Amino acid sequence: MTPRGSGDGAGPGGGRAPDGHGVEGLAHLDDADMAERETASGEAPLRAPAAGARRISWQKWTFMPAFLVAALLATWLWFRGARLDSIAHQAVDNGKVWLALRQHIQLTAVSTFFVLIIAIPLGIALTRARLRRATPFAMAVANLGQAVPALGLLVLLVIWLGIGARSAIVGMVIYAVLPVLANTIAGLRGIDPTLTEAARGIGMSPMGVLRKVELPLAVPLILAGVRTALVLNVGTATLATFGGGGGLGDLISAGIITQRMPVLILGSVLTVALALLVEWLASLAELLLRPRGLEGTN
Amino acid sequence: MPEPSGTSTTTPPAGTTGARIHLENLTKTYPGSHAPAVDNVNMEVKAGEIVIFVGPSGCGKSTTLKMINRLIEPTSGRIRIGDEDVTDMDPVRLRRKVGYAIQASGLFPHMTVAQNIALVPKMIGWSRARVASRVEEMLDLVGLDPREFHGRYPRQLSGGQQQRVGVARALAADPPVLLMDEPFGAVDPITRDHLQDELIRLQHELHKTICFVTHDFDEAIKLGDRIAVLRERSHIAQFDTPEAILTNPADDFVSGFVGAGAALKRLNLSRVRDVGVVDFPTAGIDDPLQDIFDLLRNGSTNELLLLDRNRRPYKWLRRGDLARAKQSLARAGTLVTDTVTRDATLRDALEAVLTDNAGRVAVTGRRGEYTGVVDMETLMNTVHELLEADRLEALEHQHQLQEQRHRETLLAQEGLDTGEGGAGGAA
Amino acid sequence: MSFWEYVGTRHTQLLADTYQHASVVFQCMVLATLLGMLIGVATYRSEWAGSLATTSTATILTIPSLALIGLLIPIVGLGVPPTVIALTLYGLLPVVRNAIVGLRGVDPALVDAAKGIGMSRAARLLRVELPLAWPPILTGIRVATQMLMGIAAIAAFASGPGLGNEIFRGIASLGSANSLNQVLAGTVGIVILALLFDAAYVLIGRLTISRGIRA
Repeated sequence: MTPRGSGDGAGPGGGRAPDGHGVEGLAHLDDADMAERETASGEAPLRAPAAGARRISWQKWTFMPAFLVAALLATWLWFRGARLDSIAHQAVDNGKVWLALRQHIQLTAVSTFFVLIIAIPLGIALTRARLRRATPFAMAVANLGQAVPALGLLVLLVIWLGIGARSAIVGMVIYAVLPVLANTIAGLRGIDPTLTEAARGIGMSPMGVLRKVELPLAVPLILAGVRTALVLNVGTATLATFGGGGGLGDLISAGIITQRMPVLILGSVLTVALALLVEWLASLAELLLRPRGLEGTN
Repeated sequence: MPEPSGTSTTTPPAGTTGARIHLENLTKTYPGSHAPAVDNVNMEVKAGEIVIFVGPSGCGKSTTLKMINRLIEPTSGRIRIGDEDVTDMDPVRLRRKVGYAIQASGLFPHMTVAQNIALVPKMIGWSRARVASRVEEMLDLVGLDPREFHGRYPRQLSGGQQQRVGVARALAADPPVLLMDEPFGAVDPITRDHLQDELIRLQHELHKTICFVTHDFDEAIKLGDRIAVLRERSHIAQFDTPEAILTNPADDFVSGFVGAGAALKRLNLSRVRDVGVVDFPTAGIDDPLQDIFDLLRNGSTNELLLLDRNRRPYKWLRRGDLARAKQSLARAGTLVTDTVTRDATLRDALEAVLTDNAGRVAVTGRRGEYTGVVDMETLMNTVHELLEADRLEALEHQHQLQEQRHRETLLAQEGLDTGEGGAGGAA
Repeated sequence: MSFWEYVGTRHTQLLADTYQHASVVFQCMVLATLLGMLIGVATYRSEWAGSLATTSTATILTIPSLALIGLLIPIVGLGVPPTVIALTLYGLLPVVRNAIVGLRGVDPALVDAAKGIGMSRAARLLRVELPLAWPPILTGIRVATQMLMGIAAIAAFASGPGLGNEIFRGIASLGSANSLNQVLAGTVGIVILALLFDAAYVLIGRLTISRGIRA
C-alpha cells in the first residue's frame, strides 16, 4: 500500500473570511497542491458546508426561510414595543432602515457582478496553455492579498478614492475575486485530461472545447466560488459604513456609537438575516444551475 | 553485509510457541440481516500449526478470522485460546496476546519502522532496553538489516519490505497465536513468493499457531499444514491436509476450488530440503587459478561451481571453459542465473531445472550462500515416490471414510446423534 | 509627516497595539482549536452529528462579524468579552471541519490494524487517528488564524484591543494629515502579524507532522 492513502485524504481546509463572512469551499491555500486537493478530497474543501447538505431534503429548504421569518417577526414585534428616544428615532425614521437594506443589497449585487466578470474570464485565461505558467504567480499574489484585513483595505481605498459607495465596491471586488478565481482554476484544472483530449480528437476547436466541455464540467466549482463571493460581499458590505458607503452597517455603527441597543439589535438582526438568506438562495441556485449529469458527482 | 546478531535468528526467541485455538459454534449475524454471515463454525487448530482459511470472496473467512481476536464480536459461540476462554475477556488485552497482520501491512505511516514494531511490546510494559533489542531482533528475523531500516518510514519501503515489517510488528510481543488476513494480497507475484518462503522459514524457527486467510488456493497449499476450505457463511467444506484435499477432495465445491492440475500443484507441497540435495564440486573466486585447473582436470567431474567471496553461486565452469577464455576467470564459464532456497517448493525447483540447459540448479541458504545442487534425476525420482505414496494414502483414506460412514449410519439407525463437525478433519 | 516618521514617533503605542492584537488572536485561536478538536472528536463517528457540527459552525461563519459583535454587545457589553467570543466562534469552523474530514479520512485499515494489535480506544485516537489527521487540522488552524487577524481589527469598533484601534483612529480623523498614516500603520501591522503567524505555522508543521506523512 502507499502509506499516503490515509495521510492525505486530508488536505482540506480552504476557507477564509476576512471579516467573518462565511467562506467555505475555497481551494486557494497552497496553489501548488490545488489540483491535487481538488481530486483527492474534492468534496470536503471545495464544496460548501457539510457534505451531507448536498442531498436535498425538504427540511433543509424550508427550515431556513421559516427560521428567518420567525426571527424577523420576533425582532419586529420587539422593536415595535421598545421605547425609542429621539436619538434612536433619528437613526431609524424616514425609511432609513429600508434605505440601508436597499443600499446593502445594491452594494452586494454590484460588487458580485464585477467579481464575476473579472474572476471567471481571468480564471479561464490562466488555465489556457499560454498563460498556465503565470498561474502560480497570480495565485501567490492573490493569496498574499488575503493577509490584508478587509477593514484596512476599505479605508485605504476611501482615503485614496474618496468617501462613498464607489470605494466600498472597489474594495469588495478586490476582496471577493480570489475565491471565484481559485475555484474557476481548480474546476478547469480538475477536468480529466482524457475528456478534453477526446473533445479535441473529434475535431472541436479550442473555443468549442472550452464552451462545450470544460466550462460545463467546471460549473459546480465555479458556482461554489460565486456563492462564497456573495456571502463574503454581504459581510464586507457592512464595513462600507466606515467609508460613507451606506448599508446596514450604518445602523449597527449608529447603535454602537450612540449606545442605543434597539438600533444596534435591529441592524445586526437584519444583517444576519440577509447573510443567511443570501447563503440560502445561493446554495439553492447552485443546486439548480448545476448541469444535469453532474448532480451525482458529489 | 555483516549481521550483528546472526545467531539469534537460529534459536527461537524467548520461549513462547503456539497455543491451541478452539472455536465452538461460532456464529455472527449482523444486525439487520437475518442470515448469519458466519454460521456455527466448529474448528480446532492445533498448537504450532498453520491453518489456512480459503474460500471464495464473501464466504466469511475474514469474518471468522476477525472473531478470533474479536475485532468482530461473535453473536454466539465460544473462542478458546490455549486453555483460556477468551470470549468474554477484555478485547484489548486479548489482542495484545494475538499477533495480527493484514493486507497492505497496515503499518502506521507516521511512525518509523522501529516505532511500528515497538508498539505492542511498549503497550504491554516492556522495559525500554528490552523493546529496543527486540526491535533489532525482529528486523533481523524478517530479513531486514536493522541499521538500514530502523529509522525509515513505511513509505520509504517497497511493498514486500512493508509486509515484512508488518509481520515483525505482529510477532514483536511474541504472541502464541498469529492471525494473518490476506497479508500477501497486495504485493506482486514474485515478492509474494519470497514472502511465503520467508513465512515458512519463520514458522520453522518459531512454531506459532497461525491462522491465515487467503483466496488463493496455491498459496494455501504452499503454506498450510492444514487447509479449511470454506463455502458461503463459513461452512467448512473440507478441513484437512493439503495432500488429502488435493488427492481426495470432499465434494464438487472443493474440487472446483482446487482447480485443474492437481498433480502439478502437488509439487508445491514438497520442498527442496525434503529431497536429496547433492554436493557439487566448488571453488572460490579467489582460489589460485592453478588449483581450479587441477580440480577440473583431475576430479571426477568435468564441471564445477564457482562461488563468489560471500560463497554465493557465481558461475558454472566446465573443463574446456578456462582454456577457451584464455585462462581468465572473468570471462570463462556461464553465469548462474537462477538459484532456489531450501524452502523453495519442488515446483520452483523443477522450473529452475527445466530452464537450465544442463538440468540442475544451485540451492542456497538464508543469505544466498551455496548449500548444494538439485538435478533433474533427483526431482523425477522424488515426484514419482510422492505421487505413489499419495495414491496409496488416498485409497486408505477412502476406505476409512467408507467405514466411518458405515459406522455413522449404524449409529443413526440406533438413534444416536453424532453431532456436527463430521467434515472437520475426520481422518 | 511621512509614514516612517509617524511610526517612529508612535512606536510605543503601535507596539502595544500589535502585541495586544497578536495576543488576542493567539489566545482565541488556542481556545477555538481546543473546542474545535473536541467537537470534531466527539462528532466524526456519526454521520448526522458530524454534519450538524459542520453546518452550525458554517452558519456562524456566514454571519458578518460586525453583526455578530453587534448582537453580543447587548449581552456581554463592550470591550474584550465580545471580541473574544466572536473570534473564538469564527475560529471554530475551519478547525471543526478539518478535524472531522481528517479523522474520517484515516484509512479504516489502519484503524483496524490498531485495534488488531490491541490498542485501546483512547490510544487509537491519540497515537494513530489524531496524528494522521493533524496535517489538515493544522491547515484549518492556519486558515482560521489568518481570518481572525482581520476580524480582530473590526472588533476594535466595539472597544476591543489591537491594531484595529489604529485604523479606527484614522477613520475618525479622516481628512486630517495623519489619517493615512494611522490606517496604513494598522493595516501593515496586521499584514506583518499575519505573515509572521503563517511562518510560525509552517515551523510548527515541520516540528509536529511526522516525516512519514509529510507531503
